[in-house]
Amino acid sequence: MSKYVNTSVEKVDGLALVTGEEYYTNDFTFDGMLHISVLHSPYPYAVIEEIDDSGAKAMEGVVEVLSFKNVREILYTTAGQGYPEPSPYDTVLFGKVMRFVGDNVCAVAAETKEIADLALKKIKVRYKQLKPLLDFEASEGSPTIVHDKDGSFPKIPVFHDPAKNIAAKVEADIGQFDNALEHSEHRLDHTFYVPYASHCAMEPHGAVSYLDRRGRLVISSTTQVPFHVRRIVSAVAEIPVSKIRVIKPRIGGGFGGKQEVLLEPIVALVTWRTKRPAKLVYSRKEVFVSTRTRHQYRTRFRAGFNRDGSIEALHLDALENSGAYGSHALTVLANAGSKTLPLLNKIPNLRFTGKGVYTNLPVGGAYRGYGATESYFGYGQVIDMICEETHNDIVEYYKKWSIKSGETSPIFRALGEGKEGVAMNVTSTSLNECLDLGARLSGWYEKRKQHAHSAASDERFRRGIGMAALMQGSAIPEIDMASAYMKMNDDGSFNLLVGATDLGTGSDTVLAQIASEVLDTPVEKIIVTSSDTDHTPFDKGAYASSTTYLSGHAVKKCAEEIKRQILVVGADILELPVGELEIEDGRVVKKNPGRNEEVPAVSLAEICQSSLYQKRQAQIQATASHVSPKSPPPFAAHFVEVEVDTATGVIKLLNYVATVDCGTPINPTLAEGQAQGAIVNGISYALFEDYHFSPQGILLNDTFGKYGMLTACDIPPITVKLVASYEESGPFGAKSVSEININGALPAIANAFHHATGKRLFRAPFTPEYVLSVLEGKKERRSPR
Amino acid sequence: MLPSNIQWFFPSKSSEAIRLIRKKGFILHAGGTKILEPEPRGSVKALVDISGLGLDYIRAAGSTVRIGAGSTFADIVEFCRTKEKLILLRDCLSHAASNPLRNRITVGGSLNAFPMWSNLYAPLLALDASVEIVGARSGIYPLEQYADSNIIGSKHLIKEVRVAETKGVITAARTFRILRFEYPIFTIAAALGIKKQTVRSARIFVTGVRRKFARLVSVEKMLVNNSLTDELIVKACDRASMEFVQDYRFSPAYKERIARLYLSEILREIGGAGK
Amino acid sequence: MRAEFTVNGAKRLLDVNPNETLLQVLRNGGFTEVKSGCQEGECGACLVLLEGKPVNSCQVLAMSVGEKRITTVKGIGSLHAPHILQKTFARMGADQCGFCSPGMVVAAYSLLKKNPKPTREEIASALDGNLCRCTGYVKIVDAVARAAEELAKEGGEPHV
Repeated sequence: MSKYVNTSVEKVDGLALVTGEEYYTNDFTFDGMLHISVLHSPYPYAVIEEIDDSGAKAMEGVVEVLSFKNVREILYTTAGQGYPEPSPYDTVLFGKVMRFVGDNVCAVAAETKEIADLALKKIKVRYKQLKPLLDFEASEGSPTIVHDKDGSFPKIPVFHDPAKNIAAKVEADIGQFDNALEHSEHRLDHTFYVPYASHCAMEPHGAVSYLDRRGRLVISSTTQVPFHVRRIVSAVAEIPVSKIRVIKPRIGGGFGGKQEVLLEPIVALVTWRTKRPAKLVYSRKEVFVSTRTRHQYRTRFRAGFNRDGSIEALHLDALENSGAYGSHALTVLANAGSKTLPLLNKIPNLRFTGKGVYTNLPVGGAYRGYGATESYFGYGQVIDMICEETHNDIVEYYKKWSIKSGETSPIFRALGEGKEGVAMNVTSTSLNECLDLGARLSGWYEKRKQHAHSAASDERFRRGIGMAALMQGSAIPEIDMASAYMKMNDDGSFNLLVGATDLGTGSDTVLAQIASEVLDTPVEKIIVTSSDTDHTPFDKGAYASSTTYLSGHAVKKCAEEIKRQILVVGADILELPVGELEIEDGRVVKKNPGRNEEVPAVSLAEICQSSLYQKRQAQIQATASHVSPKSPPPFAAHFVEVEVDTATGVIKLLNYVATVDCGTPINPTLAEGQAQGAIVNGISYALFEDYHFSPQGILLNDTFGKYGMLTACDIPPITVKLVASYEESGPFGAKSVSEININGALPAIANAFHHATGKRLFRAPFTPEYVLSVLEGKKERRSPR
Repeated sequence: MLPSNIQWFFPSKSSEAIRLIRKKGFILHAGGTKILEPEPRGSVKALVDISGLGLDYIRAAGSTVRIGAGSTFADIVEFCRTKEKLILLRDCLSHAASNPLRNRITVGGSLNAFPMWSNLYAPLLALDASVEIVGARSGIYPLEQYADSNIIGSKHLIKEVRVAETKGVITAARTFRILRFEYPIFTIAAALGIKKQTVRSARIFVTGVRRKFARLVSVEKMLVNNSLTDELIVKACDRASMEFVQDYRFSPAYKERIARLYLSEILREIGGAGK
Repeated sequence: MRAEFTVNGAKRLLDVNPNETLLQVLRNGGFTEVKSGCQEGECGACLVLLEGKPVNSCQVLAMSVGEKRITTVKGIGSLHAPHILQKTFARMGADQCGFCSPGMVVAAYSLLKKNPKPTREEIASALDGNLCRCTGYVKIVDAVARAAEELAKEGGEPHV
């Protein structure tokens, strides 16, 4: 019986957060600190012929101006991924070529932020404008070449063809797709679009740096990947790794947007050159434009299926708008296939083709869901279409055809991250229970009947219910590593040091709970220190739904080694064999004592004191690393009831039910919170969020007010139920939960809309005007806004 | 961005405030939300804060409600909670912007500057409010005239807004907004005087159009001296023409279509209440 | 220049430039619990109470504050003496990254002062100026509702 896992303990930093005690990057100030502002390109595609920064430099209070004139143009990728990164090296910190409105021209460091901002206005830049490429569907082979002989290259042997504007290409072919399609009884072919999106973490991106008393560079930043920051800053700012320490303080949400090394090299260079502390915090507009986004996608699904609904052949062709640089271009693309296609694993003929193409628009990157969100929009609707055409109930259909425990999909092996994937069997799933429970909680069967005639009615308000089943992964197998270090203190408390990065997800707490469970010691006695490259061991960072599963496993191994050492000391003190001892409630006790026997016991405090000061003196300490041989998928089923106003095109959500298999939820309250947050983000992506560009490539809706953020007033009733399974390869049966639930809203709402109206939505977001045009059967423009 | 050497003045009399704002680069400061919009404001030399002028009052005097220009949206919503006649103002303002912004946005600032969040004009125009201004061209102006003239932007101070409660006038309004916290896309407000089921007077205004606001004169004409039948409402709404502009999300045609729908809902609501 | 501000019940001399917002002055003065998320009055992370009313401190010019009382989240409750709202936020998972939490607590506190028994709709409405991307708001509304219940049980006014 678990005591500290599968328990909703309060976050270790909870009270400090809600009382405003905790420090985020922007809360650090240092004496003599310089403030940095960045000048961004006003043009989507231009060559800088000249930068005249004399006016800025002449201003009182301006200390440093960085541009290509004094910073070496070193190609790198801003993607904070394992090394060597699968993203192309196509970016320089300050280049001569501006590839999107918002690209870095130069940076000014000054005594105050106000002076830095004013100095930007004094910098005269002469641009030679080039014809920009703003339509990603016209990118491949366009005469406008975004990376024209700029030397950009892939760091690992993958396809990269900048001459054709191709940032990345991924393909997998299983069986005989063409032949199978041809011989299928039914066929379908549909194309779907999803837009750009901003992560909208409440905390804007920032970085602050200073030299410590021995001249080493210390950076605190809003990062999900402190160790990747250290490595990349070293490469780009040409400072040895040994001279850099990166600390992640509290960070105000990430969602993938902070898995990117953007500001750290700039503050690093300023501090390294001026020897003074430096801070750069982006404005909200800069976050929208100049950081990273969700990639815009076009997905085309072709399927061949039989009268009974069995699918013979499925082809997913994905076109990804990478934007001006290829950050995460390859891996998001691969995940667009690898996180969707295995769900219905009995399709014998599968093809995935994908390309990421360059444009002169903002840069895509990691975003919660990471390709899966983009694909599930079409995937979930295609399954709904097949079920409709073959008179299958979609819930029963998923129950029948989805991947089961003990089964595999050839996709796991075929689609990896920059290399071949890893073959694996699914060993835990409660998807069928999720489907049943979700159907019950949402009133699925009743509402399917109740609204069955909505589509044919001429009522203004029409209701429908739709659903989608989902999977994701847990960590990147055989690539990503996490580690943990623990030591024991006199009073029986422990320091747990992890490189893992808590973005607000509560991973510090979850990891403490895992150590608590192993050591049968309260969470208060586990002192967590995380994300400091000097003091904590390596962790790849917070991404790919991996912290609980991967870092948690490292913590478990580490705590088990600590436990072994404790029991050895305990055995010595109690004069009993190690095998007869157990840790129980902060003491080492004899297992299964006799009925009237006084239980031999020694407290953890005594054990530590003994080992520190008395016998066989040694620090009880351990370290452990973990790499996963597999990436067990979490599963979920999402059910949505909608009401469509056919007069305005407004889709109102009446109810949202999500049932989620994340393995063992280490902390159910935090796991539910992950699901609820992802669901609301998914809803707003489906209904509202978009990037609207002017014909000059300028983002028009770069504020929260114009972008379309939901408030507490805009959310429907949301029910989340965790349906545990037990994943043997995860710590105490855990898988992951952070990303999967952002994928459901797009297909589930679209399917509910179809149930209500008989029409299909092929383009997100489902804005009222677009919905109205669909309801009235208007032909839509080919190219996205 | 305001210059760092900007000066502040805190006059205690309107005359003093007027004297100050006649100077070049001197502007009024009330709630500050408009001044803090991210625009270049390098030419501003001084801010003349009007919080000391005692303009944050709302009082009913006879059949007229006088709203001091320094009153915030939150003040008005609070005041209107129990005032049946001002329900239109309450409806429009209680969802304008957000709670914390409603605690800062003032009537005077909003009338003078037309900030994006504001949702004040349409209901006040429908209610035939008037504005008392001091300074350049002192006097009491119908809001319609004030808004339509070039007084806005000139060196003056709005002292108060007056709304008369007229017997037999029924009001309704709709704002088109998809999310709770976003700029109103447009607002339509109507006030119809109805006697014996016949429309005697009509004031219908829409904001969010090309020229700040529009009065739907042709609709009003069709309604006056007629009874609000469904047939008439349909005809009148079909006739309503509003000059909407393309924005980053919506086409003018879509907005006009929704506006006509909303107008018909408003008229039906008023018709229903007038029976 | 320096000017006197009344923050969380104490008079403080803070550096202020005449063009600075209350947000800038408070943060520069060490009140880093007031967060800066957008500086456009749209996210609510910088909410403080001004004379007991929630305002976006980024939308208030500091010079206009005068003697008005400013309350930050730390004036509502501290790590060592947390307010019931803060306890329920922490206990019920209403805090994820915590960046919106100070503003949320300020808005919720102001609501409970005016309306000690709010409905869920009234709670949501009172939070219409506070954005959160982590929680989906569900647990935030839950926590405010629970805090209201617990305050009612204590028969107590919020303690500030």
